[in-house]
Amino acid sequence: MDSDDIKDTVKRYILREFLPGESPEALTDSTALVTSGILDSLATLKLVAFLEEQYSFQLEAHEVDAEHLNTLPDIANLVLSKST
Amino acid sequence: MGSAHSVTNEITPGSVVGTPGKDGVEILGLAKFLFIVVQLGLLTLVLRQFQVESSAFLRIALLAFAGFTVHHFLPLSYRLPFFVLLSLAGVAMVFGMESGVWLIALGLALIGVCHLPVSFRVRIALLLATGFLLGFQRGGWLDAPWSPVIWPILGSMFMFRLITYLYDLRYEKAPVSGWRSAAYFFLLPNVCFPLFPVVDYKTFRRNYFDEDRYRIYQKGVDAMVRGVTHLISYRFIYYYAVLAPAEVVNPADLTRYLVSNFLLYLKVSGQFHLIVGMLHLFGFNLPRTNYFYCLSSSFTDFWRRINIYWKDFMMKVFYYPAYFKLRGYGNTKALVLSTLFVFAVTWFLHSYQWFWLRGSFLLVWQDVMFWGALALLVTVNSLYELKWGRKRTLEKSSWTVRDFTDRALQTVGTFSVIVVLWSLWTSESFSSWLSLWTALGPAEFSAAGVAVVPAFLVAVAVLGAASSDGSDSVSPDKGKRKLLLRRSTAVTWILLLLLASIGIPAVYTRLGPTAANMVLSLRSDKLSRLDVAALERGYYEDLTQVNRFNSELWEVYMNRPVEWLDVQGAGLTRFTGDFLQQEMVPSMRSATRFGTISTNRWGMRDQDYERRPAPGTYRIAALGASSVMGWGVGDDETFESLLEERLQLELAEEPYTKYEILNFAVQGYYPLQQLPVLDKALSFEPNAVFYVATGRELSRAAFYLADVTRKEIAVPYDHLRQIVYKAGIEAKTSETDAIRRLTPFRSEITSWLYHSLVKICREQGVLPVWVFLPQVNEGPWEEETAPAVQLAEDAGFIVINLEDVYRQHDIDAIRLAEWDEHPNAQGHQLVAAALHQELRERHEIFFSQAAVRPE
Repeated sequence: MDSDDIKDTVKRYILREFLPGESPEALTDSTALVTSGILDSLATLKLVAFLEEQYSFQLEAHEVDAEHLNTLPDIANLVLSKST
Repeated sequence: MGSAHSVTNEITPGSVVGTPGKDGVEILGLAKFLFIVVQLGLLTLVLRQFQVESSAFLRIALLAFAGFTVHHFLPLSYRLPFFVLLSLAGVAMVFGMESGVWLIALGLALIGVCHLPVSFRVRIALLLATGFLLGFQRGGWLDAPWSPVIWPILGSMFMFRLITYLYDLRYEKAPVSGWRSAAYFFLLPNVCFPLFPVVDYKTFRRNYFDEDRYRIYQKGVDAMVRGVTHLISYRFIYYYAVLAPAEVVNPADLTRYLVSNFLLYLKVSGQFHLIVGMLHLFGFNLPRTNYFYCLSSSFTDFWRRINIYWKDFMMKVFYYPAYFKLRGYGNTKALVLSTLFVFAVTWFLHSYQWFWLRGSFLLVWQDVMFWGALALLVTVNSLYELKWGRKRTLEKSSWTVRDFTDRALQTVGTFSVIVVLWSLWTSESFSSWLSLWTALGPAEFSAAGVAVVPAFLVAVAVLGAASSDGSDSVSPDKGKRKLLLRRSTAVTWILLLLLASIGIPAVYTRLGPTAANMVLSLRSDKLSRLDVAALERGYYEDLTQVNRFNSELWEVYMNRPVEWLDVQGAGLTRFTGDFLQQEMVPSMRSATRFGTISTNRWGMRDQDYERRPAPGTYRIAALGASSVMGWGVGDDETFESLLEERLQLELAEEPYTKYEILNFAVQGYYPLQQLPVLDKALSFEPNAVFYVATGRELSRAAFYLADVTRKEIAVPYDHLRQIVYKAGIEAKTSETDAIRRLTPFRSEITSWLYHSLVKICREQGVLPVWVFLPQVNEGPWEEETAPAVQLAEDAGFIVINLEDVYRQHDIDAIRLAEWDEHPNAQGHQLVAAALHQELRERHEIFFSQAAVRPE
């Protein structure tokens, strides 16, 4: 499991759950997810549940923020840090 | 203090001014810098022309703009310390050295407790103990050695930011910087704004110079210009659009009432834009605070847009922790309970905030209703979104006609519910709010009025549907993002040039008298006609519903000492149980902050007099309210006392040997109460009765009739009872509805009162004199002056019109305080001198034997 795998998995999940019909090219590594409102509180919690189930770890409440979830690379870094 | 070198975010290389060997970059940087400076110059002009916010804010803005020009050229490591020093200078500039030092010392002590070398729990316990101690002092239960003026700002700086600071401190991995901590709490613009967005500490740290600094600066200027636009728009709505509930008589009025009432929030959003914009000038690339909240397409969307910093604060500190604790019970249950918890906490923190800003608790049913209803709506909306999802886009191009229509209808629906809910939140009473809806019944209204409702709803629908949901900013197309930034800058320039030019007298005076007067009024900060009326009413009874943070009146009351109404506490009046309702307590003496207030054995605020005047005495009975009674001045400083003394000195030889003025005025009296007072006054055998009117005679007369009817106090006058019957009001009628129904009878009530007073006086051989005493400040109360003068003349009063008595005088020199516009001692001297002059000039009318009662 490397960063690109994680980004790819998460990207597919986000496109399927929150951005249906959106072109995959439109969601890039620099797309802001939290600060732009794509990941609002409900979507964030859904994403958290997905990450926890997919990668078998538990997130803490204080980790649910823009620092950890704002972009695909941020999410990948979070997953990698929790998995090690 | 820690080292400023711990700042982790770097500026982009291209933005560094003075990079050796890069002349092109240097020149480009200087040009971009000058581009910002020119905009700040224009913005300063607009701030001055429109007197945006307080004079303290203008000084802080100038300090910030000047500081920006220095800050920009400093090496990165010096910028944060420079910002801190600038902020501390701002504190001293606004509060003065002594209070400023106290504020800074208290703040540093609080920050210091957060970093004591003890366990986190002990630090929390110490902070709570310190908070309780300060709370006791804030509430006035314990003395504090510093001036109370620092409380609102000290509270504003620490009441919420300490919470998020501690939260981040607990989990933060980045090294702590003392400069950053000080910068975070003493944020420069905070010194002028008690209402301050809850800036998140982690965001504050992470976003510091996190992109090209010129872009950050430009975003700051954009935000400030939009803030100024919000504030000027707010003034327009506040002065011209807002209605009192009693003025709402048809659906168009109701729409205007609901919408304008909600749009008063522009005050807060304007301030927040100004604040955050100013912080951008120092590299704090903070997110937007509000985002087209009028165009929300759902209740969750509204919650996300109206006060974004508050929403983020709630999410971070309360919602997510609660959800994570509860999710063992299932996601849906956790979601519902966490959402309800957030709104309960919001309600509580609203009161907590009020306490630190005002020194008292705000626990009112309107808050409970509003937050409770919003909690339910957001919860239901969240459950819907949980099940069905919410449409999100990266680019708007995918919108169809169906999407557009859905969005338009959702926006109108959300807006309509929110403005109704908002009206409930800001209503004086539930019955007052309910009475608004009687306007939906059969009523006459103009064609233009009919068009208002659908026109407005269509506008909201179209704008809502066309508005972005914020996704433009995440477009993967760099060219499009650049275009959006340029468009934002272009809008800023257009607004700046428009506002700067329209604020120039040579320009706006050419727009015609109506437009010129409107621009002129928008150029200054003052109370609206409704708030002036509320302030007047609040003088004696503290009835004013100042329970909104965004009201102008609230800002005035913020400065008012808690014990300002200590005269009321002194027990000056007592209840009579009849139409008069209250009277002064006889033979009372009380020392107040204004000087001594004493009453004689007859219950007059005056020296003692015999019931019957001595031979050769010319006696005047003065009837009136607080300004005549002498609210806010000592016994020997009332204009009645000064005039009496002067008449005695200068006129005692011709033809009377003694002049007496008996003061029957009582604070808080309304015109109709003067009828029973006249009976009492006539028992003292005066030669003349001076009825002193002080503005808003017609509406005050109607208000009192509504008041006694609702209190089931017997009205001892047939004509007034008939009016009550014709108006269809009774005890259970709400105040708003009663006033609305009596409004068409205002002239009739006042005319009847004046004719009755004159008739009774004439029958007793007493000269009836009607004196008009204006309020110290110009205002919408003047609208009723001309009709009142006309009614007084028609009734047969001798009229003394003193409407110019305060003109040409500095308002602050003649009034008690910003929050109490009664004349002070100097104001009373002006009135005494003007009355004296009138009496001398019209000597024959007032003092000839024929004019007055036979001996």
